[in-house]
Amino acid sequence: MSEIKLTINGIACTGTQGETILTVAERYGIVIPTLCHNDAVAHYGACGLCVVECEGTPKLLRSCSTLAADGMVIHTEGERCVQARRVALELLMSDHDGDCQGPCRLACPAGTDCQAYVKQVALGNTKEAVRIVKQRLPLPASIGHVCPHPCEKDCRRGLVEEPISIALIKRYMSMAELQDPDRWVPERAAATGKRVGIIGGGPAGLTAAYYLALKGHDVTLTEQMPQMGGMLRYGIPQYRLPKDVVDAEVAEIADAGVQMENGVKLGRDVSFADYRAKFDAVILAIGAWKSSPLGCPGEELGGVYGGIDFLRSVALHEPLPIGKNVAVVGGGNTAMDACRTAVRLGAENVYVIYRRTRAEMPAAADEIEEAIEEGVTFKFLTNPAEILGAEGKVRQVKLQVMELGEPDASGRRSPVPVEGKFEYLDVDSVIAAIGQKVDPAGFDVELNRRGIIAADESTFRTNLEGVFAVGDATNRGADIAIAAIGEANKAADVVDSYLRGAIVPYRKPFVSKRSLTKEYFADRERIARVHIVNRPAEERRRDFAPVNAGFTAAEAMREAARCLECGCHDYNDCALVRHANRYEIHPERFAGEKRQHTSETELVTIERDQGKCILCALCVRVCDEVAHQGLLGLIGRGFTTVVKPEFRDSDAVKVCASCRKCAEACPTGALKILK
Amino acid sequence: MKARIVVGEGSCGLAAGAGAVYDALQAALTADVPATLGITGCIGMCYLEPIVDVYDAAGALHRCVRVKPEDAAAITAAVKADDFSGLGELLISAEDETFLSRQTRIALRHCGLIDPEDVDDYTAGDGYKALEKALKTMTPEQVIEEIKTSGLAGRGGAGFPTWFKWNAARASEGEEKYLICNADEGDPGAFMDRAVIESDPHSLIEGMMIAAYAIGAKEAIVYVRAEYPLAIVRLTKAIGDARAKGFLGKNILGSGFSCDMRIKAGAGAFVCGEETALIESLEGSRGMPRLKPPFPAEAGYWHKPSNINNVETFANVAWIILNGGAAFAAMGTERSRGTKVFAVTGKVKRGGLVEIPMGKTLRDVIFGIAGGIRDGREFKAVQLGGPSGGCIPASLLDTVIDYASLQATGAIMGSGGMVVMDDSTCMVGVAKFFLEFTTKESCGKCVHCRIGTKRLGEILQRIVDGEGKEGDVELLEELCETVKAGALCGLGQSAPNPVLTTIRYFRDEYDAHIRDHKCPAKQCRPLLTYSIDETACKGCSLCSQKCPAKAISGERKKPFKIDPAACIRCGACAAACRFDAVRVD
Repeated sequence: MSEIKLTINGIACTGTQGETILTVAERYGIVIPTLCHNDAVAHYGACGLCVVECEGTPKLLRSCSTLAADGMVIHTEGERCVQARRVALELLMSDHDGDCQGPCRLACPAGTDCQAYVKQVALGNTKEAVRIVKQRLPLPASIGHVCPHPCEKDCRRGLVEEPISIALIKRYMSMAELQDPDRWVPERAAATGKRVGIIGGGPAGLTAAYYLALKGHDVTLTEQMPQMGGMLRYGIPQYRLPKDVVDAEVAEIADAGVQMENGVKLGRDVSFADYRAKFDAVILAIGAWKSSPLGCPGEELGGVYGGIDFLRSVALHEPLPIGKNVAVVGGGNTAMDACRTAVRLGAENVYVIYRRTRAEMPAAADEIEEAIEEGVTFKFLTNPAEILGAEGKVRQVKLQVMELGEPDASGRRSPVPVEGKFEYLDVDSVIAAIGQKVDPAGFDVELNRRGIIAADESTFRTNLEGVFAVGDATNRGADIAIAAIGEANKAADVVDSYLRGAIVPYRKPFVSKRSLTKEYFADRERIARVHIVNRPAEERRRDFAPVNAGFTAAEAMREAARCLECGCHDYNDCALVRHANRYEIHPERFAGEKRQHTSETELVTIERDQGKCILCALCVRVCDEVAHQGLLGLIGRGFTTVVKPEFRDSDAVKVCASCRKCAEACPTGALKILK
Repeated sequence: MKARIVVGEGSCGLAAGAGAVYDALQAALTADVPATLGITGCIGMCYLEPIVDVYDAAGALHRCVRVKPEDAAAITAAVKADDFSGLGELLISAEDETFLSRQTRIALRHCGLIDPEDVDDYTAGDGYKALEKALKTMTPEQVIEEIKTSGLAGRGGAGFPTWFKWNAARASEGEEKYLICNADEGDPGAFMDRAVIESDPHSLIEGMMIAAYAIGAKEAIVYVRAEYPLAIVRLTKAIGDARAKGFLGKNILGSGFSCDMRIKAGAGAFVCGEETALIESLEGSRGMPRLKPPFPAEAGYWHKPSNINNVETFANVAWIILNGGAAFAAMGTERSRGTKVFAVTGKVKRGGLVEIPMGKTLRDVIFGIAGGIRDGREFKAVQLGGPSGGCIPASLLDTVIDYASLQATGAIMGSGGMVVMDDSTCMVGVAKFFLEFTTKESCGKCVHCRIGTKRLGEILQRIVDGEGKEGDVELLEELCETVKAGALCGLGQSAPNPVLTTIRYFRDEYDAHIRDHKCPAKQCRPLLTYSIDETACKGCSLCSQKCPAKAISGERKKPFKIDPAACIRCGACAAACRFDAVRVD
């Protein structure tokens, strides 16, 4: 065999006569994408991804089959190749009926792999479940207690009867593991010698600190309050999230190598400039800790408090005096936390003043329900017009009666005042829980129009070199904890890349999605969601103990077993989605008729899904050329071609010896090995 | 000498009723009529079938056209009287005779003249003389040299030099070599190859045996589509007869060269006209193309050196050997030698098989031989090369017929399908028609063809449905180019051509569909608006009676009105109106 010399992407390569371009390129570490090629079988040329340009040849060459020749000058990533691959992938994805990830995971702002940990809980493996959730979320027990769980809203099981109780499952598994001395402990990468300072020990700061520490950086987390936890500790009442849970999870983050300094306030204890000078990168995760003012006369009176100021005072065991009659203004979760805390502090009459109706309330439905059970009075369609007082103290609140008008831009019907119609409530205090604002004082960082820190959406960079910002303090302002955590774990990757010398912006990955309706699940067996019972309202309104005990192990396993397992079993290994992300595809431009999901099990130990088949025919070819069985064949023609038992003979495939080579060769999730 | 009555019994003649005509002639041919009755193949004037050729006792031809069974008596009477003047309208007109007289027939030289089922009729002329000449006086190399001199190129569409393929197969190492004839003619509107096999099977056999000798093949296989039953019957008989006469099989004509021949009936997949897919199918596998290289000349049928040519190519070979390559090369143009057969169909006055020397113009064929557009309409476009080809507009009618000139228009020579369209044709609809064809005929192997053609078809569908979007034409162009570059075989690589050429020459029609929601040719139903011209309407109510959607109302003797919301655009009103008062926009 004679030696040949060729150039691939400017690299001088040597090959042997008879070798393909792909083989030579692989040897030099040049990755040419392919879906249908496998060294175990003869080349096939179906996917068209492996095309390369050869100088002097007008056509694109399929590198899987074109023999390398002396003197060839090959380019594997030229514009024509990239375009050909992109369109091929777009075409494939336009004809792909599969969910890369379950709707739960897609709905989770942090992208936690709900399906995977729920599955592990169903199997009784809480340790693995926690390992999985901690890939994205270092505070699963805390979040399991407090999260308004957008995952459950999108859960497909909801199209059958009710969604999976994902949050309670997460709470169960994380609590179980916290009590297990033999629990999973993450591995930390080798030290990089880079220093990161993170300001703000809330969910965002803790998350960024945890992942950056695990990546080997020297992380210092700086918190102005006496203890870590941010809003989880100071904004969320004990009855929803016991402080010892926060303590335990903060301790785990410290164990991951994060140095924590409490009670250090930037601008007071250390200047921002001095702080920056100590680190290679700084992340601002300062949250939104200022209550929005009501903007009505009387606001300055004694007994008018901000919602989070009130909650913080309770958490610090120095509750602000609220008296017997309390008005809480607002319809969000903070308002619910405030009114239920007021009840627990012994207030006799607690009112929630909300300018719309119950249907428009942003607070979680169970929170509202539980508040009502605990005796809170809801004054819907009212808005404080004035706070009336005497001797500098609140005595009464004057309420403007509202009605619902036309829907606004967000689709919610806007409240409009009913001319001249007012009500009066005698109250001792007014708690304004209508929003939170960022306090960026002391950080000379660029703000947006709303006075919030402006950070790049994909790099989290501020206008200051080496200063990043995440969480409630940035861009869109305050949101739920898991959203801040989601940003922080993306930012951790970006900051890591920055510290390693080349910043890689976050890019939302492409995933294939199915759109299904209730009708699709019409004949699915109904299995009731496992509901848990809260402590009686009369009992719980007198203490700060948790409202319920969460799932028992048996309940959690039973509930977890209801999961439909929508996400693809092969997502992490799927070559199709990997290439799709590499080439930034937009298959929606070619939307049209597509293949349909199936579940075919003629091969007994292999489940075949036509929806995810890309017709690379590797299963057909491997069964024939490697296993020497020839049990599978291509049936039909053109767009409607499918892989079936050869000659559609379902009986003939019963001789399948379950060698599973077909499933192992499948580049997508079309073939699944069953037990 | 007795007179001869010969009925044209190609598939076209039989479809037009030649079988019944034959039976009627047989019945009318009483003992007192001094004539024999026989058959021949297709003469190529499909529009005149059934055709009955009467050779009188002196050998002169009296060609009767559009013959019906009831004309049999008149024909036999004329023969008996040896006076054909009374046949009047039955006899071919002088104008129709020009259809043939303007042609130059090499590949079709015997078609419609000899009895395809009688080997003796073939050998009575110069049949098998070329084979004898090659086997006895020429070396294989000399045969290849002669073909090289002729400049013969593959008539299946690609136009690759025939000698080069033969030479490559000959040069390939190995004792076991195969010669394959591609008779999987599948382009819509193309029927040259069928006509040759049905009408002159021995010229195919002879050409193949000469080729087999040239490359050193021991077996020859004709891959013919099963939808050509008559061709298979006649070729089967011809192979048997040729074998019996020693023109194929062992020790052909005592030369010591042996090569046998068989037929493989294809199951009807268009892609099997692609040579590597054809080979897969021959081997019993699913008809899907293989990657090239290796080319069939190195590793073809059972991975042995193989040579594949199409029917028309082989049909030229015996003529070239007998008359010399130079005589063939003398016809045509510098870069495209010899003649080419076209199957002219569509809106022409005279449709059929046309063989002309390369170098004539499209106008010569369409307006000269085929007589131009029928029904007084205007020429709009001609589709050349079937679904792999393109649509050529009126402005390019003077394009010279040779491989390079046709390719420059965006179309291709192809196998010779020539579909002529008049001004009632929607060009977006034409593109969609061909795309739907290729989508159905894609084997499904490669992504670009399997899904790409499907998506092209879907985009075209929404355009003709009036749901096209701004940017759709650009999306079509982008996808077309990617499919051309990315598809595995010729089917996919050429499938976008009808779309690209219609966009290139008829862009305004695409824009009219997308922007104005109008179909200029008034073919796309969702884009039509029916209305009644108040000045022309007499209020007869006929339209409202015919309307199946009850969308037309009015008072008698006053102008009627169409409710556009209820109208289903079926056109029944326009067909019913006797005053031309229904307007279609």
